[in-house]
Amino acid sequence: MQFDTPATTNPIDQLKVVGKPIHRIDGELKTTGRAMYAYEWRDPNTRYAYGYPVGSAIAKGQITAIDSAAAKKAPGVLAVVTTLDVGNLQKGKLNTAKLFGGSEIQHYHQAVAVVVAETFEQARAAAAMIKVDYAPQKGAFDLRAELATAQSPDPSTEPDSSSGDFQAAFSTAEVTLDAEYTTPDQSHAMMEPHASIAAWNGEEVTIWTSSQMIDWWRTDLATTLGVDKEKVHLMSPFIGGGFGGKLFLRADAVLAAFAAKTVGRPVKVALPRTMISNNTTHRPATIQRIRIGADRDGRITAIGHESWSGDLAGGGPETAVMQTRLLYAGENRMTAMKLATLDLPEGNAMRAPGEAPGLMALEIAVDEIAEKLGMDPIEFRIKNDTQVDPENPERPFSHRDLVGCLKLGAEKFGWDKRASAGSRREGKLMIGMGVAAAFRNNLVMPSGARVKLDKEGIVTVETDMTDIGTGSYTIVAQTTAEMMGVGIDKVAVQLGDSRFPVSAGSGGQFGANSATSGVYAACVKLREAVASKLGFNSKDVIFENEEVRSGNRAVGLAVAAGPDGLVGEDTMEWGDLTKTHQQSTFGGHFVEVGVDIATGETRIRRMLAVCAAGRILNPITARSQVIGAMTMGVGGALSEELAVDTRHGFFVNHDLAGYEVPVHADIPHQEVIFMDETDPYSSPMKAKGVGELGLCGVSAAIANAIYNATGVRVRHYPITLDKLIGELPDVA
Amino acid sequence: MTVQIRSSIRFLLNHRLVELSAVSAVQTLLDFLRLDRNLRGTKEGCAEGDCGACTVLVGRLLEGRLKYESVNACIRFVGSLDGCHVVTVDSLAQPGGPLHPVQQAMVETHASQCGFCTPGFVMSLYGLWMENPKPSVAEIEKALQGNLCRCTGYAAIIRAAEAVSVIGDLDRDPLIAERATIIQKLESLKDGKRVEIGEGSERFLLPASVDDLAEIYVAEPKARIVAGSTDVGLWVTKFMRDIAPVVHLSHLDELRRIVVDETGITFGAGVSYTESFPLISKHFPQLTELWNRIGGQQVRNMGTIGGNIANGSPIGDTPPALIALGASVVLRLGKKRRTVLLEDFFIEYGKQDRQPGEFVEAVKIPFLPENALYAVYKITKRLDEDISAVCGAFRLTVDGAGTVTDAVIAYGGMAGTPKRASHAESALTGTAWTEASTEAAMEALAQDYTPLTDWRASADYRLLVAKNLLRRFYLETKGDEPVRLDRKQAV
Repeated sequence: MQFDTPATTNPIDQLKVVGKPIHRIDGELKTTGRAMYAYEWRDPNTRYAYGYPVGSAIAKGQITAIDSAAAKKAPGVLAVVTTLDVGNLQKGKLNTAKLFGGSEIQHYHQAVAVVVAETFEQARAAAAMIKVDYAPQKGAFDLRAELATAQSPDPSTEPDSSSGDFQAAFSTAEVTLDAEYTTPDQSHAMMEPHASIAAWNGEEVTIWTSSQMIDWWRTDLATTLGVDKEKVHLMSPFIGGGFGGKLFLRADAVLAAFAAKTVGRPVKVALPRTMISNNTTHRPATIQRIRIGADRDGRITAIGHESWSGDLAGGGPETAVMQTRLLYAGENRMTAMKLATLDLPEGNAMRAPGEAPGLMALEIAVDEIAEKLGMDPIEFRIKNDTQVDPENPERPFSHRDLVGCLKLGAEKFGWDKRASAGSRREGKLMIGMGVAAAFRNNLVMPSGARVKLDKEGIVTVETDMTDIGTGSYTIVAQTTAEMMGVGIDKVAVQLGDSRFPVSAGSGGQFGANSATSGVYAACVKLREAVASKLGFNSKDVIFENEEVRSGNRAVGLAVAAGPDGLVGEDTMEWGDLTKTHQQSTFGGHFVEVGVDIATGETRIRRMLAVCAAGRILNPITARSQVIGAMTMGVGGALSEELAVDTRHGFFVNHDLAGYEVPVHADIPHQEVIFMDETDPYSSPMKAKGVGELGLCGVSAAIANAIYNATGVRVRHYPITLDKLIGELPDVA
Repeated sequence: MTVQIRSSIRFLLNHRLVELSAVSAVQTLLDFLRLDRNLRGTKEGCAEGDCGACTVLVGRLLEGRLKYESVNACIRFVGSLDGCHVVTVDSLAQPGGPLHPVQQAMVETHASQCGFCTPGFVMSLYGLWMENPKPSVAEIEKALQGNLCRCTGYAAIIRAAEAVSVIGDLDRDPLIAERATIIQKLESLKDGKRVEIGEGSERFLLPASVDDLAEIYVAEPKARIVAGSTDVGLWVTKFMRDIAPVVHLSHLDELRRIVVDETGITFGAGVSYTESFPLISKHFPQLTELWNRIGGQQVRNMGTIGGNIANGSPIGDTPPALIALGASVVLRLGKKRRTVLLEDFFIEYGKQDRQPGEFVEAVKIPFLPENALYAVYKITKRLDEDISAVCGAFRLTVDGAGTVTDAVIAYGGMAGTPKRASHAESALTGTAWTEASTEAAMEALAQDYTPLTDWRASADYRLLVAKNLLRRFYLETKGDEPVRLDRKQAV
């Protein structure tokens, strides 16, 4: 199905199942521990061997020799497969760093060997006996030190934009702001470590793994293994969180495949938590410069946003300026990205790549210019709202209600009680409120599904879509139930298997809208098959109460299916509505904090997000997505930072003790309100993504609340108390 | 003394008795469950006791009472489970049968997203429910401190905890209803024998008694004594260190004794943080918050005061607080015992006043004099489950004229050991307890310490905070208002 004209009324609009607060259908499997994650697949007749990975001890250079003699002789060891043994391998196209193979070391903890043994402990013990000789080379690890060498990245990434005359407008603006902001390297820190099992059958390999994007992994793994893609079967039905860390093929899958091939048995490989920060990808640090010029009435006349980030050679920039091209009005604009070559582990997508760090900076800058103008920051944002793409004014937003989010949020949060900076006290606590806009584009991806109706009247959906905790199982079931006129208990959902039609996968907050649209398309095909088999005119058939009706004829779906059942399969393809119309999601984040005047400790007191993201397919799963994202934003604002050892080139705090994600005591009362809206330009579902929107802007709202509480402006994340304490008013 | 030796360990795993004779000193409970027993409901998120995805319940008899506690299976050694009842998430509901009330509550409140942390939360909440069917939010938060979730933002899990008793009846829970039978089974496993298993890097022992422990340790002074394994567990899972031979002591009831007399409290070296909490918070209410912020619930259930001291870490949570109280340790070598002040026990980084074959048997904490002022502050980036950047403990005696007659100040995280601040103490002693004397003592701290810079905190920051904590202590002793955020103020 091709979606190229705005949606009109369709069966989804009945909203009998879609849009209802239905509990996740995989809840029971998860609370009993029966949901089967990658490392847990088990055929009782198979003896699995265990692989333990060895990571590089240097950040850059060459391996000159690997001595695995002692490890090979250790008890229980079946094989040692080293990066030298397998030689240079073809890298998949989606990763920047190679995952395994050859003598070149590109980053610390790059996989250099896997030890395979009868038991996990034997493999781990033998892994410690591997001796690797390196010829290290000098690397670049410090973004600040490499600023001068940073280059404009590949033009295909559209690193720069401009309209009007920014320089002239900024230099003559009545009120200006010119400030630098920094965001640190961050880690996905999903709860389930990366893990894979590989089992070969002749020339075919089956991989059970933890992947957000089945087809991307399958394609890249086939490339690296040098086999035909059809020979690779990938399974990932349950994923213990991803946040972008499992978008692209990871080393555990490659190591498991080579290890299993070598020992002729299925092999399990998990990355130890301590290897994850440096072996996998992370959100790269940024240094950002923002300049805003405004007239005395508070209208933006010039807005400029530049961002510097680093990555391995061949990598891309953290696209932190993108939202600035679209979020606020203003005639004279510029954005630019520069990329430094760093020899740290690969920088890549983490939840809301670009917008998350971009808004961390931009939304503080907006707070700052509003203050310079003596304006309320909400009023400033409303005044500079735009209903068209400011760089291409002929291109409208499909639907944009940022103003509605801000106004409703202000009312619900009690924004009118916000005092001037540093003026509200409760005992030794300084209290402040902050606001920020949330903004994230609505991306769409082709997405396929197969829907089968059987003689029991059960509808089974098969798609390689993944559920990384987002609720895909549930919304796919809801969509199918709505389309086929059955209860959700009559729908079975099968996800995460490369034998199923290729879907959008989970990423870029495109999963929910795209994948349910693919299911919609497949259901349309199944409805046509049912109608055609019954000789009904497919235009006027009604699917309701487990039967199909046309005029005064009604046939039960089970009967209609017949003994052989019926199948519908299709892929949703997208026309150019995302080009003719800017499709984005919007929100307002409101935060109240208390800061201890004596110590600078910040505690968040309450949070509210108001989101405008099209139709909400399931208010429970959507709300959970936003709240989880707000929580991640608390970490981003206050504690999360991968500390770089700039001498040796690695992330020091590579575990959950040192990389501090919020614990429950850090999280206060949180509330989410969804605007009641639909966006017919987005898809037949009229929905848009929410999974990343919730993270966009939260950290800046916290930063702004801290400023409002203390009068201290911190522009460098995370806002730890050492950055505040020197500036706080005297206690005595 | 003749000791009988058994060469296997025996414990209940869910509904079955397990007897193991081929088990390594370094085998963790988590690997045993997932790899050997194919009980895959319990997850591995970090293998170092941070995330709680591996939480299981361990029931243990102590003086006839059976108590189930949440523990981190990833850093708990199988060898320490002799005589225990291990309960995993896999046993809570049968396939096709009804969910356990905790699981049902988690489903109904949408407390699971990616689901990987969920089994751990289920087990922590189950442990809480058994002890406290109607917990307050603060009690729920305390029980869940050691469980991380990256998806939900936690509120739904709190609601689940509140809903459990609405959904289920605790009296009908199998672990309550069948308690007498379980106690009987566990009693029958106690045979008073020493356990010795394995050779070389696999070897471990369970002494039959404290006397037996003393004897073993004299004979094998290079053995590694393991109490709660909340640190030693990481030596294995993170550093792949060879720790054998291991001598466990968590099964020794004698080391779990607590004696209160008119001078103070003596805790056996095997008393866990959780077990000590009621008496600590009663007699030293100033320590309540510190105790509640040691690791998470699982770590407090496993970790011991004795282990925290014997381990010798410069950033251990309890030593600064106990040094300021004038605590001492009872050291045992063979049949001989000696008592040393805790502050003298720590000699330098990695070195304590402990002879080969000598171990910490008990910790004595004297009560505070009536007119003493006392406070402890732990400074961390994250409120819960975090390691101190700096921990400061202060005890002052001020006479009727307002003069400081005695000052003890100890910090963790400021030197290679937990260490007293002698210059600052001198600056205060004999002076009036005023802002001026406080400031003088703050300045003196710079002579007491040259802290390190690491990624947890810079040297400058550590010194500044150390000074400010002394100022906070002054302000708190002078005014009514606490000069800090706590949980109540934050929400």
